[in-house]
Amino acid sequence: MEIEVEDKEGYQVVTPIGELDVYTVPLFRKVVLKLEGDRRHDLILDLTRVTFIDSSGLGSLIEAYQKVQAAQGEVGYVINNPRILKILRLVDLDRVFKVFPNLGQALQDIGVTGGYVDKEFFSDLT
Amino acid sequence: MIKSSSRTSPDTARHMVVDLPCGKKSLVRARSKIIKFAGEHGFSEDAEDIALATQEALKNIIQHACPADNKMHFECYAYPDRIVIEVADEGQGFDTAILEGEPSSPLALHGRGVQLIRGLMDEVNIASDQEGTLVHMEKKRR
Repeated sequence: MEIEVEDKEGYQVVTPIGELDVYTVPLFRKVVLKLEGDRRHDLILDLTRVTFIDSSGLGSLIEAYQKVQAAQGEVGYVINNPRILKILRLVDLDRVFKVFPNLGQALQDIGVTGGYVDKEFFSDLT
Repeated sequence: MIKSSSRTSPDTARHMVVDLPCGKKSLVRARSKIIKFAGEHGFSEDAEDIALATQEALKNIIQHACPADNKMHFECYAYPDRIVIEVADEGQGFDTAILEGEPSSPLALHGRGVQLIRGLMDEVNIASDQEGTLVHMEKKRR
């Protein structure tokens, strides 16, 4: 797995590339939990290049959420892979996370809306 | 060790037995073997779900029940109407009653593996005693 980190419009955008699972989660955690800077608690996790996720990967997304919540920051999740959306839904995380279909939408709306959840799209997954 | 359930009859199904070293590195191999087996028997559409469910069951063995010979084991059966996966270990077992309560909070850090298995598969039975655990999973043909 590779992980890209960029500062965009005041948000730390973290983009893991590859599989986010029990094997790669330690690296992901290390990067996310050690982010530095004044805006380290304003985070966008761009998961559009994640090809596979398991329960350990979901746990790492929750850990990031909890870290940001504890610091009263904001976190958004960019997801356009139907399989990953389906897995989020199976464990009810679609009701908790702010999910956006692309990075532009996330940067535009993260502080404004409650996130993008396409109910019709989700309903097709079950 | 808990024996395979009576519903699984190798005589009437295409059967694959897989032994792999008990470790994280084996999970990718296990997944690719399941996807190939499912695809070969007409379950391509659900192959990813079946493989992830199996990976979650194997992960529990890695975390709680790696045997002395460091091997983990699973079996796949393809029937005309369904695919069956059984993941067995010879660990100390656990009280399956803990799986029957309310689902954990979406934000709990652990305990999501079984929830995923149940969401991905059509039928799941988990039996456990002092001699081991058997996870029996079925996915019906669409």
